[in-house]
Amino acid sequence: MKAIVTVQSFVSDLVVSVWTPLFVILFVAIVAYALWPRNKKKFDAAARMPLRED
Amino acid sequence: MAYAHAQRSLTIGEGGLAAFFVVTAFLTLVAAAKAEDAAFAFHAYLGAAASVAAVFAVFNRYFRTPELPPQEIDGRPNYQLGPVKFATAAAVLWGIAGFTVGLIIALQLAYPALNFDLPWTNFGRLRPLHTSAVIFAFGGNVLIATSLYVVQRTSRTRIAGDLAPWFVVLGYNFFILIAGTGYLLGVTQSKEYAEPEWYADLWLTIVWVVYLLVFMGTLMKRKEPHIFVANWFYLAFIITIAVLHLGNNATLPVSAFGSKSYIAWGGVQDAMFQWWYGHNAVGFFLTAGFLGIMYYFIPKRAERPIYSYRLSIIHFWALIFLYIWAGPHHLHYTALPDWAQTLGMTFSIMLWMPSWGGMINGLMTLSGAWDKLRTDPVLRMMVVSVAFYGMSTFEGPLMSVKAVNSLSHYTDWTIGHVHSGALGWVAFVSFGAVYSLVPWLWNRKQLYSLKLVNWHFWIATIGIVLYISAMWVSGILQGLMWRAYTSLGFLEYSFIETVEAMHPFYLIRAAGGALFVAGALIMAWNLWMTVRSGEAESAAPRAALQPAE
Repeated sequence: MKAIVTVQSFVSDLVVSVWTPLFVILFVAIVAYALWPRNKKKFDAAARMPLRED
Repeated sequence: MAYAHAQRSLTIGEGGLAAFFVVTAFLTLVAAAKAEDAAFAFHAYLGAAASVAAVFAVFNRYFRTPELPPQEIDGRPNYQLGPVKFATAAAVLWGIAGFTVGLIIALQLAYPALNFDLPWTNFGRLRPLHTSAVIFAFGGNVLIATSLYVVQRTSRTRIAGDLAPWFVVLGYNFFILIAGTGYLLGVTQSKEYAEPEWYADLWLTIVWVVYLLVFMGTLMKRKEPHIFVANWFYLAFIITIAVLHLGNNATLPVSAFGSKSYIAWGGVQDAMFQWWYGHNAVGFFLTAGFLGIMYYFIPKRAERPIYSYRLSIIHFWALIFLYIWAGPHHLHYTALPDWAQTLGMTFSIMLWMPSWGGMINGLMTLSGAWDKLRTDPVLRMMVVSVAFYGMSTFEGPLMSVKAVNSLSHYTDWTIGHVHSGALGWVAFVSFGAVYSLVPWLWNRKQLYSLKLVNWHFWIATIGIVLYISAMWVSGILQGLMWRAYTSLGFLEYSFIETVEAMHPFYLIRAAGGALFVAGALIMAWNLWMTVRSGEAESAAPRAALQPAE
């Protein structure tokens, strides 16, 4: 029982300490991907996707 | 009926589905025989009847379709539109039913005698019937219809699965039937927006997993390299609802043959689970799913590209990261730890950014096409819905601030807020999508009458304004009366005095609801006439794509 509690608190401590920076990095990466100048052409094409008929 | 060629062999899907329904028919019959309460027996018989009908339908189709529909016809994707049509029609019918029940309970609050002293028409049973009918039956069918349509067209491929899309659509509506009849018979687990009991939840889980597989399967076989943003919103909706449903329905039935169950969570944990579920149902069912509709149908109708595709990516992920934490604002000043309440409030306020990101993107998509608002009432409906979205997502974070919440909570202000979102945003964007979809699906040149759409728009808009302004006044009045003290420190008003003060506002609210129902009836008539007598679209690309289904 005690071992389980120790493992549990180790996991939760790890998650709590890693969670915030991980999500911040992930979100910053997404924003960078969205704003990256080289991707602009691709996104401009994607914005027209509903208008292309087949 | 003899065919000139040999009958094809049964596919694995057909055989498997028939076998599955043979098993469910057997299980539900046993359950009906051993049932411990009448409502459970009734639902078991419904399940048995539906199972037998499903087996019959599978074999009927097998003998009637000598060949499976092709993936492509003349190099063009052969979209499967049958399930989309069914869900669209179901949405309209459930919508009218749900709005009407809402009107009935609004009148019951003004005139309690309308309860008729019968258990089945009691407010406590009709209220979840109303909320589930409008959110899950109307909204859910609109989301299923539009998602299955949009994912096919933006992936340029026929939907994944042969019978699976039909299983999703019919199975989901069967869940609605079980849930709704259950409420009337008094079957409930008393969790707001999650009232259906354990066996209905179990069935919904199966249907929802198949829905996820169909949607992801279609994305995986897409011909377009890029996954269009609307599909991201739909996928977030499907996945998150699955997670929420499992978390908030972790129940243990009292008996395998009875309708009652108890939740695994206790006390404040249960309350937190409930509002983690409840608020994310708002966030991912009523927001993310309908934003998916916005991102396909507004550009399509306005014939303009999305204003900023970059903004759509950023506000999508911001919404995903933030929404999941907002639930505790439903539990201000309760046994929930103070830090959790503050956390919920903080994340709710941060939600202003992604919400307004979505609103700006939706509205600005009209840049260069604003004149269309004058001539196209369908587009106007969708644009007004986005404006309502912006307004109600501004109001929501405001109400999550603890100081504001101490006035607004448990009052009609909350009801007004919910309905500015539900009627103004969710219903209006759905109406716009359905008005667009029906001519496309049934291969009609245009709607039967744009004039009737205009009438619907104005009648429903006036209805919404009456509804929400009555509830704002009523709610703030109620909140102020509850907290009024005399100079001696006694409460100034008894509870019944605050109830009496609400009466005129309840009448105005019911009038607004009646207008909203009237608008929906006009819509149903207009759509019916479009399908029945509309002019067929000639030489349309869509005509060639539609096989007999």
